[in-house]
Amino acid sequence: MQDRALEGVRVLDLTHHVAGPYCAKLLADFGADVVKIERPEGDIARNMPPFFNDEAHPDKSLLFAYLNTGKRSVTLNLKTATGNALLERLAADADIVVENFAPRVLPSLGLDYPALRRINPALVMVSISNFGQTGPYRDYKAADIVHYALGGLMYIFGSAEREPLKHALRQTQFKAGANAATAALIGHCHQQFSGEGQHIDISIQECVTSALRDTTSLYTYAGSIRQRQPAYTGDMPRSPVATADGYIVPIHFGGAVDWDGVADFIDEPALKDDSFATPESRFANAKALQEALEAGMSKWRKFELMREAHKRRGHIYGVVHSPAETLASEQYKARGYFADIEHPAFGNATYPGAPFIMSATPWRAASPAPELGQHNEAILCGKLGLSLSELDLLRASGVV
Amino acid sequence: MRLPLDGIRIIEMGQLIAIPHAIKLLGDMGAEVIRIESCARLDNYRTHSLYENSAEGRHWDRAANFYEQNRNKYSLTLDLRNDDCIAALRDLISVSDVFAENFTPRVMRNFRLEYEDLRRVKPDIIMVSSTGYGYIGPWADYGAIGYTTEATSGLAHITGYKDGPPALPEIPYADYTAAEHTAFAIMAALAYRARTGKGQFIDVSQSETLTSTIPEAIMDYAANGRTAERIGNQDAAMSPHGCYPCAGKDKWIAIAVAANAQWQALCDTLDNPAWAADKRFADAASRLTHLDDLDALLSKSTAQWDQYELMTALQSKGVPAGAVLDGKRLLFDPHLQARGFYETAEHDPISGIPPLPYTGRPWKFSHTPGGLRSAAPTLGKHNRFALCEMLGMPTAQADSLEASGAIGAAPTRPSPPRIASIQEQLRRGQIIANDADYKQRLAQRFPHKAGMGD
Repeated sequence: MQDRALEGVRVLDLTHHVAGPYCAKLLADFGADVVKIERPEGDIARNMPPFFNDEAHPDKSLLFAYLNTGKRSVTLNLKTATGNALLERLAADADIVVENFAPRVLPSLGLDYPALRRINPALVMVSISNFGQTGPYRDYKAADIVHYALGGLMYIFGSAEREPLKHALRQTQFKAGANAATAALIGHCHQQFSGEGQHIDISIQECVTSALRDTTSLYTYAGSIRQRQPAYTGDMPRSPVATADGYIVPIHFGGAVDWDGVADFIDEPALKDDSFATPESRFANAKALQEALEAGMSKWRKFELMREAHKRRGHIYGVVHSPAETLASEQYKARGYFADIEHPAFGNATYPGAPFIMSATPWRAASPAPELGQHNEAILCGKLGLSLSELDLLRASGVV
Repeated sequence: MRLPLDGIRIIEMGQLIAIPHAIKLLGDMGAEVIRIESCARLDNYRTHSLYENSAEGRHWDRAANFYEQNRNKYSLTLDLRNDDCIAALRDLISVSDVFAENFTPRVMRNFRLEYEDLRRVKPDIIMVSSTGYGYIGPWADYGAIGYTTEATSGLAHITGYKDGPPALPEIPYADYTAAEHTAFAIMAALAYRARTGKGQFIDVSQSETLTSTIPEAIMDYAANGRTAERIGNQDAAMSPHGCYPCAGKDKWIAIAVAANAQWQALCDTLDNPAWAADKRFADAASRLTHLDDLDALLSKSTAQWDQYELMTALQSKGVPAGAVLDGKRLLFDPHLQARGFYETAEHDPISGIPPLPYTGRPWKFSHTPGGLRSAAPTLGKHNRFALCEMLGMPTAQADSLEASGAIGAAPTRPSPPRIASIQEQLRRGQIIANDADYKQRLAQRFPHKAGMGD
């Protein structure tokens, strides 16, 4: 089997829910040795849908299964002195610690960066939180939609005539996880060179705000405040348009769209109407223009329209894939994107696989997500040298 | 202070966001980045969103998006149809660590800049190619932008108002997700090279990176055959959960109630309106059943409030809530200011742009903070530095390349882009407001000491 990029990097994963686990998953699937510490009740994500066969069981959460491939699970109650001390021993020889508790939690347990640094000066500690470790919103409560709002993405999402919108699911969590994984490796790079560790503060709000185009800069450059666009814009139709069998995003490059060319290509003479002759008239008649475009496209099937647009016109058209169509995509299949992984609790399932292809060190989920505390003995006895009877005592006293 | 990526040299042949944003993240942390540009075919981001909304002067050096994506980078213009220029690019790659590009594979084949070509000049080079659908596969040569890859990822299909078509935000969102994963990929490849001395080729499909962030949708279909409906801002478990109007023009607040205690706190904050006692809203399950009624009533209450005041009042009682911030309010947000999120850069005087604040990074490092060291480069600003100082090209040869137009500091066709006036943008709904005194407001909020930066 081929080597993976991060073999030998030791990660202690104190995370739960989504953002932190996604960070540690990226590290694990590219080869890092990741030990996940869970509270004895387990990561909350074990109870998050969707579940395999819709069976709401803590070993059958597909979200948890995805976020925790390749990790080993150890349970520790960090509120107990023994659990706390065992955590310190595990942190002593980790290269990277990742955590996503609320900022007040680890200091209250005596396990914040200053404490862990005394044990392991070279440690890179990555803390992911809603609004960062400092500042007036530090202890604010959040959810994905709150990050869309305070991150600035929501105000420019949706139609000007309606309320601002967010994406489905939990994009801001994944965004923070990916950025945290990059930051961890940048910190690791410095650690390898200098022997110096550090604390890395990731604010989910800032992860959103750092990835906006033409938003704050439209104000700094021209004093303008951008908003959601009206439903009908004339020359800028980039919203999905219905075809005979689903939606397509028809992008026509260039400042002024060649509407006659589009009319010929999709065979819709109505687009050549005099009322659409100039940018001004297209804006004035934007609704009719959109309707003519939709009338023309409704005669096409979306995949054929996309292929012909690329081949014949060089237009950048993209089909809207349902998740089922993404799973069936010839392009994704040719690249071997999806991974079938066998899980002891529910068997074989299809997962999103390599987020990118590395030629020498390919992505590999080395093992399915662990059962709760599956590696207590391997880590606590095998690595820290506890005896089996000591482990039993810890179990009985609720430490693990 | 030594930065984590000091000593790493990246040659970037990037455009728009997917590669420039990824490399910007690494440049902030110390990587030396040389951007290869073309005078004949400008990066599209040099052609719009111009300073003062004006196409006067060197307009290609006055574009907001270019400056947002390309700080801390050098600019070298090369006409890759010219043999000397291609040779110079290969020479640069031979003394670099990473070559990153986001053109279609056809372009790389034409210029013989594929991985197999590059490893002959630099055996341990790390090459990263970021394309819409991937470097290999039947769609490899399909052009793409962030809007179309968001569509193919599977995310757009499940996003949108309840009764509407799939929806996309007004930014090429997938490009950023791809960039964030690309920066991680480069760091992983650098770690591998540090351990083994080996380089490699990284093939990023922008569509696939976004699919990696929607496992719930993909796995629910694969395992259970279920496809989620578009439900706007609603949530399967939380209620209320949405975006509600506040006082003022187009002002909103997002509220997410995850527990009954939060529901009670919400009702208290809003002075217990009559509907708070309505038994239809007594518990989460019941609130989900009567969601539309609840949202309508709640909206009437929130509309009486200022968005910041309501956020503060709700958060003080532990209710997850956030003001929906526009671009201006982001810049002036007290939390982002307290964290020093925005960083001010001075610009090359030939651009005619005064010092301005720029978006920061998604991380804060305690010991090696990194940051904005110099504004994005004017076109071709570092031609002589890269060719003569770094590669030792004789000055006479650089002069003749310049005379022939193979390198330069201005576009081959410098015709100014057509700019819609502020009034026109307001009329078309592209912008909602414009502050005539924005320069004073910015100077007051982001005071700048001369001599900082580049």
